[in-house]
Amino acid sequence: MTRTYRWALSLVLLAVVLVMISPILWLVSSSLKSSADMASFPPTWWPSQPRFENYTEAITSVNFLGAAQNSLTIAFISTTLTTLSSAWVGFGFARLTAPGKKQLFVVLLATMMLPGIVTLVPTYLIFAKLHMVNTYWPWVAWGLGGSAFLIFLFRQFFAGIPREMEEAAIIDGCGYVGIFWRIFLPQSWPVIAASVILSFTHAWGDFVGPAMFLSQDSTTLAVAMATGYVNDKGLPMNNLVAAGAVMYVLPVLILFLFMQRRFVSGFSTSGIK
Amino acid sequence: MTTTNAGLSRRRFLALGSAAAGGALAVGCSPASSTNTPAAAPGTGSAAKGTVTVMSQSGEFGPKEAKAAGQALGVTVKTVEYDLTKLTAMLASGNPPDVVRGMGALDTPYLVARQVAENLDPYFAKSTLIKADDIDPVNDLWRFDGEKQGSGPRYGFAKDYSQDCTIWFNSALFDQAKVTHPSATTPLLLDELLDEGKRLVKRQGAKVSVYGLNPNGLGLFTQLSWLTDLAGGKLTSDDLASVDFSSSEAQRALTWYLDYAKAGIGPTVLNPDPNGWDGPTFQAGRMAATLSGYWLGGLFAGDPKSAKVAGFAPAPQFDTGRRISPCFGATGLWIPKASKNKDAAWAVLEWFMAGDPAKARAAGGWGIPPLKSLQKLMPQKLPYQKQAYEVQMAEQQHFSVTSVTPYVRQDAINAVITRELPKAIKGSMSAGQFADTLNSQINAQLADGKKRLR
Repeated sequence: MTRTYRWALSLVLLAVVLVMISPILWLVSSSLKSSADMASFPPTWWPSQPRFENYTEAITSVNFLGAAQNSLTIAFISTTLTTLSSAWVGFGFARLTAPGKKQLFVVLLATMMLPGIVTLVPTYLIFAKLHMVNTYWPWVAWGLGGSAFLIFLFRQFFAGIPREMEEAAIIDGCGYVGIFWRIFLPQSWPVIAASVILSFTHAWGDFVGPAMFLSQDSTTLAVAMATGYVNDKGLPMNNLVAAGAVMYVLPVLILFLFMQRRFVSGFSTSGIK
Repeated sequence: MTTTNAGLSRRRFLALGSAAAGGALAVGCSPASSTNTPAAAPGTGSAAKGTVTVMSQSGEFGPKEAKAAGQALGVTVKTVEYDLTKLTAMLASGNPPDVVRGMGALDTPYLVARQVAENLDPYFAKSTLIKADDIDPVNDLWRFDGEKQGSGPRYGFAKDYSQDCTIWFNSALFDQAKVTHPSATTPLLLDELLDEGKRLVKRQGAKVSVYGLNPNGLGLFTQLSWLTDLAGGKLTSDDLASVDFSSSEAQRALTWYLDYAKAGIGPTVLNPDPNGWDGPTFQAGRMAATLSGYWLGGLFAGDPKSAKVAGFAPAPQFDTGRRISPCFGATGLWIPKASKNKDAAWAVLEWFMAGDPAKARAAGGWGIPPLKSLQKLMPQKLPYQKQAYEVQMAEQQHFSVTSVTPYVRQDAINAVITRELPKAIKGSMSAGQFADTLNSQINAQLADGKKRLR
């Protein structure tokens, strides 16, 4: 590789990085602007007088900490249960035999094609009948049901583990529950990491679910921010939205920074690239 | 399947599903509550007890207002954020909110035709806070007799309102462009306004740096209906079941709007204002004139720079001599027929519309109070507030109710206009072809909506 080639490659990569990072930079810049700065023309990348008080207003004008706690609770419930149940079901599809297993797997994959919005009102009616609206029980139910994509991910990963390992465990007297807990699950950290990141990001960023199933007192940060940063006429205060959004993405960024290596290997070792 | 639950027949459930898919609100209600007249006389606010769930927006009726209502009335008030899908689901589940946000001007016929909203006349008759002779005529937008908006029972009440085609202008931008300020008493002619917009617009290259005019209001259909009215015609038929964009008056309205859009002097569906609404754009000194209504002035009280340059003027008109200054919002509250705690719901509604919150809103300047007695509280300390107050008080006499159709939601009609408008702006479709397209698509929507209601 010549020096010129390396320079050219670096420049191209730098340009790509700038393109990818520019929305985040714009978000941070907007979070420090006044309302008039937001509307100025031509747009400015950096405000002449940064308004750091946007951040304090973003925290105080909605119940930011309370809503963040609700978001974390839901994300924790959802992430833990979805990952565990998806791993269990993925193991079953990968290692157990039963009549109709293949057909059932096709049905499972087909559910990924169904937009969630289609089932929203019927789902509400079911949970309303079960008196689960305005509680976190829907997230427990959804978590226990697993995720079709994550089941697929786990199934692909478990299918790649040598069958001899499973047979040796059976000869040593280990049942399938033990095989799952002691042998398969400890080997699947990359997929678990991918599952945790995907489940957490989905639950943390979900707007429709909390908007439908929770009241304003118990709702999540996504809903509180989307509906709370408004003036007396209910119109958006975009600089506060930006400041809130900067704080909102931090947990996901931190989670990803800590788990990114395993996240990538989770996909590469499950046959999905 | 015969019924989905005690309060929801199969037919209505199907109607609900299709309406939800189209962004529409269509729900059923129990046979026992299918009449518009309550069987028994309701209680008054003093009988209020239990829990009331209010579905509104955080900025209007959120947890803070819920707490205050609870303290004032001795009831427990819970709030859920307004969302049409959620409202549909709650109504379908038979457990709706007790009080719901709505826009009287646009929602009333739709809600009443589906027998969703409670007739509030018996409550108004007993109210100690809201007297019949104190009610501003704008609240007639919350009335519907089955054929016409503006008469019949009251189904809701406005929290505040504006006459949405009145003009806010930036006097400094007018001075810079050497354009005479709009008169506070004589309405501008629409053609003059368009001409002034062309002189007021500022560009940097191909981009607009200062908008000359924004006449888009709260939605294109209502705006075009108003323009057609001003031209001496009617966009919607008397039975509210069809539209006609091909009449000479409607063509005049369409042509005026297309001239505006093609001139590139303000936001359009092709070049929307990135700020989403006029407030920040006006504050940044980038909006010369906007047909926004009185409420926008509430923003300037906390912004001395805007307060110094803001001016208010009557709604414009064509040269036909017709002067109409409509209200397309009358945003307020209504009570679902299926509410399980209507007496307490009324108490909350009454308190919010005529109690302390109403007085605070009146003084805030974000809209005109729905009760005449509260209108003296509108802010008049700053020069722009005093000028706006005087113009607004004179403008009230030009308000009149225009009925909207009960067969489809305005969102659905606006979606058709927004989809077809770019072709007309770009010139690939003439005004006549645009009218024919709108007639065909909107009339199909209306026919379908009417069929579903049978």
